[in-house]
This record gives sequence, C-alpha cells and structure tokens, in this order.
Amino acid sequence: MKGTYLGEFQEIVLLTILVLEENAYGVTIQDEIEQKTKRPVSRGALHTALTRLDEKGFITSAYGGATSERGGRRKRYYQVTNLGKSSLQEARSIRDELWSRVPKIAFQS
Amino acid sequence: MESGTQNCLPKLVIDPSNIGPPRRAERFFKYFCDQEYFEELQGDLEEKFFINMKRLGQRKAKSIYRNEVLKMLRPSVIKKVKTQTQLNNTAMFKNYTLIAFRSIARNKLFSAINVVGLAISMAVGLLAITFLAELNSYDTFHINADRIYRVINTAYEPNQDPGLYATTSPLTGKRLKEEFAGFEKVVTIYRNFNGDAKKGDNTVSIRGLVATEEFFDIFTFPLIYGDPAQALKNPMSLVLTETSALALFGKTDVVGKIIEWDRGLQITVTGVAQNPPRKSHIQFNAVGSFSTLELMNRNNPSFMSWENMWNSHVYALLPKGEGIAPLQASLDKISEEENAKLKNWSIEMGLQSMSSVFPGKKLYNEIGARMDMKTVNSIVILALIVLASACFNYTNLSIARTLKRAKEVGVRKVIGARRAQLLFQFIIEAIIISLLALFFAFFIFQLLKPEFLAMDRNIQRYITLDLALSTYLYFFLFALAIGLIAGFLPSLALSKLRVSNILKGVSGIGANNKFNVRKLLIGIQFTLSMAFVIMVTLTYKQYKYVLGYDLGFTSENVLNINLQGNDVQTLINSFSQLPEISEISAASAVPSTGGMWMDRGKYIEGNDSLSLYNLHISPEYLDNLGHTLLAGTTFSETQGRNQIIINEQLLKRFQMGEPFDALGKTIRIQGKARNVIGVVKDFHYGMLDNVIEPFVFLGDPNEFNMINLKVASTDIVATMQKLEEKWIEIDGIHPFQAIFYDDRIEQAYSKLASSMKILGLLALIAISISMLGLLGMAVYTTETRIKELTIRKVLGANGTNLISLLSKNFILLFLAASAVAIPVTFYAFKEMVVSQMKYVIDIGALELGSGALIVLIIALLTIGSQTRKAIRTNPVNHLRNE
Repeated sequence: MKGTYLGEFQEIVLLTILVLEENAYGVTIQDEIEQKTKRPVSRGALHTALTRLDEKGFITSAYGGATSERGGRRKRYYQVTNLGKSSLQEARSIRDELWSRVPKIAFQS
Repeated sequence: MESGTQNCLPKLVIDPSNIGPPRRAERFFKYFCDQEYFEELQGDLEEKFFINMKRLGQRKAKSIYRNEVLKMLRPSVIKKVKTQTQLNNTAMFKNYTLIAFRSIARNKLFSAINVVGLAISMAVGLLAITFLAELNSYDTFHINADRIYRVINTAYEPNQDPGLYATTSPLTGKRLKEEFAGFEKVVTIYRNFNGDAKKGDNTVSIRGLVATEEFFDIFTFPLIYGDPAQALKNPMSLVLTETSALALFGKTDVVGKIIEWDRGLQITVTGVAQNPPRKSHIQFNAVGSFSTLELMNRNNPSFMSWENMWNSHVYALLPKGEGIAPLQASLDKISEEENAKLKNWSIEMGLQSMSSVFPGKKLYNEIGARMDMKTVNSIVILALIVLASACFNYTNLSIARTLKRAKEVGVRKVIGARRAQLLFQFIIEAIIISLLALFFAFFIFQLLKPEFLAMDRNIQRYITLDLALSTYLYFFLFALAIGLIAGFLPSLALSKLRVSNILKGVSGIGANNKFNVRKLLIGIQFTLSMAFVIMVTLTYKQYKYVLGYDLGFTSENVLNINLQGNDVQTLINSFSQLPEISEISAASAVPSTGGMWMDRGKYIEGNDSLSLYNLHISPEYLDNLGHTLLAGTTFSETQGRNQIIINEQLLKRFQMGEPFDALGKTIRIQGKARNVIGVVKDFHYGMLDNVIEPFVFLGDPNEFNMINLKVASTDIVATMQKLEEKWIEIDGIHPFQAIFYDDRIEQAYSKLASSMKILGLLALIAISISMLGLLGMAVYTTETRIKELTIRKVLGANGTNLISLLSKNFILLFLAASAVAIPVTFYAFKEMVVSQMKYVIDIGALELGSGALIVLIIALLTIGSQTRKAIRTNPVNHLRNE
C-alpha cells in the first residue's frame, strides 16, 4: 500500500505532467505548479517528488536535445506511465466516492 | 536578453563572463550534486535564471538562483558516495596490488631506493617502538598498578633551584597512617639495606629494602612461603627472595630459620618471595621489617624527623575509584605543619603515579631503576626525524615520476575511476612498498639491536629489546602509517591530474607543478644531514676535549680498587708485595668522576664560613696522583686527623693571602678545629660540569673506600690476575673491583660518548637516505633532460659545463640548507649537549663548516656520477628517435 500511495504534491506533479503533454520538463512543471497553486515551489522539492514518482514507476523520463539558453545542457522530459495514470484514476475515484457520500447539508451552513 | 543588454549599454561595457548564474553558487552546486541529475537540474536552474533575469533583473535572478541551490541540499540530490565503491572493492583491490607490483618491478632503481631508504629508517623506527613498548611495560605487573602513587618531595632552599627527590621522610608515612585519610594503605620503604647475610658457610651480599608490613599488600610481589600480611610485622624479620634463599640455604622452604647479619644480629626469615620481575623499578634480594629500623633508632630523634628525607620512600594505595585530591590535601596539611618548625628551608610533597616513575622525570635519590624522560623523548624525536627523511624520498621520487604514470591515470579516469579510488590505489602502492621495507627493516633491526644496547650502559641495564607479540602488531601498524604518510602527497598529485590534459599530451603535467614541494623536501633532508654531521663533529671534539682536559693531577696508570669494607692496611701490605706496583695510596672516593662530598667549614680567624668539598686521603695520595703542593707538606702519619690541605680557591675565598701565609691557620670542619698544613694547586674535584670550588683534603683513615695503585707493567692482564689472586686471599666473598682511573673518567663521561655514538649512527643513516633520494632525483633529471644534454654536448659543451648546469639548483638548495642547519645545530649543541658543562670547546668555522662541506661533496659526487654516465654515451643513441 505504502509503495503506491500518492501524496498530495505528487498528485499535483503527475497531473501537471499530463497537462503539459509533450513539454513537461523541470522548468515548465515548476512554473505550471507555481501558477496554478499560487505558491512557490523550489526546483529541489520538485526533484524529490519526481524521484519518488520515478521509483514507484509512475513516470518515465528521457533526455531531449540541448539548447543554448541552458548552457548547452539537455532537458529531461517526463511522461506519466500507465501505472501512474491508473493510480491517478484510483485516487480520483476514491475522492469521487467520498464526495458522493458527503451529505449536502454539510455545505449549506 | 536584448532588452537587458540595451539597458546596460550606455553605462558600461558588459563583461560577458558576468552574465549568467552566480559563479560560486554554481560551483557549489556542482560540488555536491549527484552526477546523475546534475545536467538536468543545472540546466533547469540556468534556464529559469535567464527567464527570471528578463522578468526581474539580474540581481533578483541571482538571488533566486542562490536560494534554489541551497534548497537543493536534500538527500535526493546530494551525491551518494558509498554506493559505487562497495560494488567491486575486492576486485579493484586485487587489481591495485597487481599494478603496484608491476610498477615496482618495472622501476627497479626507484623501487630499490625507496625500499632501502625506508627499510633503514624503519629499522630505527622499530628500535624506537620496541624501546617505548618495553619502557611502558615497566611496573604493569602490579595488580593495583593504576592505584599506587608515590610521595615525592621538593626541597626549597634559599639561593638554590628547588631540588626534586624521589624520597620523603619516614615521618610522612607514619603520620599519614596514624592521622590522615585519602588512601587505602600506605607503605614506607627504606632504601639501602645493604650488608652480608650468613648461614653457616654461605654468605650472600644483600642489596635490599626495609619496608613496613603493607609492602606485600600494595605491591604484587607474591610470597612462596610465609604470610604476606604478617611477614614484615615484627622486628628482626626478613623476607628473602627465591634466589637469595637458595644461595643461603640451598632450598626455598626456610620460613622460621635464623640467619646472621652484620654485627652478630640474628634475623628470622618470615617469608620467601618470588624474585621481583625484571620490569620493576623496585628491585631487591631481601626485604627487612621497618620495625627493626625503628627499634634500632629508638634513641635517635633525627630518624623520625621531617628533615630526614633522603633515604625513605612512601607509596600509597588509593581507594578504588577515587582521585589523588584527598591524599594530596593530607600531604599539604602535613608539610604545612612540619615546615613551620623548619628554619632556612621548606619541603613540599607531591604525588607521582606508578606509571610515571619509570621512565619519569629526573629525581634525586631514586629507589632503583631510573630513566630520564628527556632521554626517551630525544631518542623518539631522532627516530622520527630519520623516518621523515625516508618518507620524503618516497614522496619526492613518486611526485617526480608523476609523468610516467599520467597515462595510466588518464585511462583509469576515462574508464570511470573516481578521484577517491585513484587516491586509494596510489596509497595502497605506497603501503605495499612500506610493507616490503618493513620486511627488510626487521633484519636491519636485528643487526642494530645489539649496537643500540651497547651504546649506553643505562639503557643496557633496563632494556633488552625483546619482542613481545603486541610489538609485532605495532610494527605492522607502523608500516601502514608510514605508507599512508609517504604516499599521501604523490597520491594527491596523481589523482588530481585532468584527463583532458593527459590526453592532450604529457608536457607540463606534474613534474613542474610540484617542483617547489620537492625542493623544500630535499632542502629539509640536506639540512638534517648537515645538522647530524655537525652535531657529531662537535660532540666528538667535546668528548676528546673533556678526556684530554688537564684536571690538575695525573690519572695515568693509576688503578683504583674498591675496598668493599676490607681493612686498608691489610690490602696495602698485600698489594705492595707485587713488583709492578710502585706507589700505593688510599682515599675516600675517586674525584673528577661525578661523586662529590661536602661539609660546612668555618675559618676561625676570618670569622667566615663556606661549603667545602672534601676528600679523605692517605699521606701518599698527593704524590701518587701528582698533585702540586704550592706550600707546606702532606699529612703526617699520626696527625692526619687534625690536619687539612686546602686548595687555592679556598685560599682566595677566605682571603688568607699567599699560600705560605695560610699554613698553620685553623678551619673548623665537622665540629673539629683543623690546622692547614699544606696548599695544593687547584684541580678538578667535580666533573667538568662544575667550576673549581673551595676544597679540603682530610686525613681520616676510617673514611677510606678506595686504594690507588700506581701500576708500571708491560703485561697488564697478568698484573690484574696477580692482584685479583691477592684480593681473593683476603676477601673471598666480594668480587674484585678494580678499574683504571682513565677508564673511570671515560665512564663518567659515557653520556657524552653514547650521545656521540647515537648521533653518529643517525648521521650515517640520515646521509645515506638523503643521498639515496638525491641519487634518485639525479637519475630522474638526467633521464628527462637527456636530449637537451646530448644536444648541448654535440654543440660543444664539456662535462664540467653540464655538471654545473645540473647541479646549479642543488647548490642553491645546499646554501639555503646550510644557512638553516649551521645556526640551529650550534644552538642545539649549546643548549642540549653541553648545557651542563662549564668547560666547552671553542666552536669555530672549521667545525661548523666541515659538516656542511662533507654533505656538499657527497652530493656533488652523486650528481656528477649520473651526469658523467649520461654524457659519455654516444649522442646518436639519444637523438636518433623522436
């Protein structure tokens, strides 16, 4: 259970990667999360999350071509694996199920 | 980017290197970031930086970048050091060892120089280790060794340096036991329990101790027979050792038996102890009971007095788990109370742990074995110096040969070796060399061992240099340490090489970068060799000077014989029958060899008093020893006891005028008025450590301990045999003790002789090691410059030109080294070797320069031989291939 557990930040990272489609690498992921969540995300923290996701097999990565604005260093593009996608689905279905069981009255006050 | 440049244009020309992420943060990040992620993360950070710079300006962007780098300090980013090296340690280790042996085998000359140099110096190191290990094992056999402390006294007298004594008064032991706390048990030991014990026809000369009953409780000297708690309780009891019991009785089960002591005393044997272990600073062949001594001195109030601190030792056993503070407080209390009763001087007491007695600080009246900590330290320091010198050789030669190993380093790095692995590899190589050296060092050590022991009588007495099992372990660890130290710098240099440089071409790598370190190391070696040579020269001259010094009397052909309690006249009569003996005299001691006796003397007429050194002599003494009488005569046979003969110093101090004026004057010594009947020319009563002080000859025959025979013989061995036969006729118990005066003087200065020998040996070793190193460097230099040399030769340079070309650097080094070595050695000689001596050689340029010159000559020969060899070969051989 622990191995496939998806933390909140990790879930956001996974979704962001999916959103960015072909252009998901460090800088874009970081920017996207910062814009959407309105909170600063350090590249280091993002790296940790990406490493964890990689260990769990939720994402894969591959180097892209070198560009000059990065001092000639290559980008690493991330993709969500099927396992990652199903884990996202699962998290979502748990949530949906819980939402459906929340009495409407709880939001009426 | 464009807008940024435009903004700045009017102000200044932008330094392109200044645009971009902050350098230091970048470098720091590179330092700690895991290689696997570095490219991605660094790229992301940089991209982000330029985005930020456009939006927020350079300064803000830099600060964000720095922040980002700091936040990268997390486990997922930081380098993982261990993971990779764990994988193939054994395999790599095998590989390193293999390569090490191959490289040793390929560079036979350099390996030989390294191994030989290290082996010689490591032998000295092994000597030092064995020496230290043996010293440290002294007194460890006592079960309570860590809880036993000795009371030591410091005596303060006006106008004198405080005197440190291993002794204290018996009163200390008594008062501690009866009134004070802070210890579990305390024992008082009286030194010098000497005499002859008899049983029937057997006599044993006892060199023992007298101790209170706690002796066998505190110390671990097990009794074979007898009750340890009771053995020393009653007066007239004695504990023998196994050996002395066997010598007296022929067996060891002798408790309850009676033996006869001097003056017809009957003493009961109450116990038999095992012989004290060799490694004990307390040695005895019998222990008497302290109550006997108390009984004998019951009418002598000065025995149990605070001032009687010259012969007894007090040892205390501390309670388990307690410090010395309570005991020290008790001692302070005693000395405070007792010092109040003293006039003119005072005594303070301190404590010394069992482990710091031997070797320990220099104390007067030591109970047994003594070894000055200073001697030990200087031996260790000298050994370290020699070792350092040999390590320098390894370091130097290895760094010089960096070039040859560069390709190997390059290939290894390309394949993926990390710097730490390369460092490890080259250190392993150094360790293998040092282990090889250890092997040879062990044999050299066995050769050096007897030489070392023979150098100093004191060392020989207490040290055997036998190897314990643990010593072998120390040897091994020592070799590892030497390998580490010697290999560290070269490994650093080799592992630092950059792959790009190596593969671009070998020029400019290694050799030149480290040239200054190498120069420094060679310079230090030069300095050490010179210092040793100069030191030996000076010490040798001083030794010769001291032995040849005119003492003011003639010691030549005089044989001194120890009376050992026999009657003077009987011996004189017996010896004078021999035709080879031309003159005979007797005296209380042998002057100019260290021992000195002193009394207060009062000049009645001048109302003045002084401390006077003295010697009791027979009337014939002055003539026999060639003293010059300036006035008056020698003692008359009958009046000797009331007469004195004084020296010139005394004349001067008491202001008696001319020698003839002093005759007939009266000086009171030992409570007795004595007439001056003669004045002798000043002579050296003390050793050359002392200046000549006021002195008197006294004539009490009861004080005689020695007789002096003037021997005129062509066959000394035969004469000695005859003398010994005569001795045995008179004294069948004590062995004949005779020694020529000149030999005795030489013995007195044996410390100088042994430091000379030790320094000489070390000088030889230091020079050989540094010359080996120099040889290595010379071979290397000629090898690398061979083409240059050949071209010079072809163009017409002759041998002298080339040698001077190659030795120019060395000469500069040599000059720098002598500039350091000469003053330092001069100072060290004055402060350490002859600091006590009042009569010292004049040190001139010759003595100081000669050492430097010797080193220079050997160095030039070394370099010259290599250069000659190089330039005598046919130029074609060196120039035909490029």
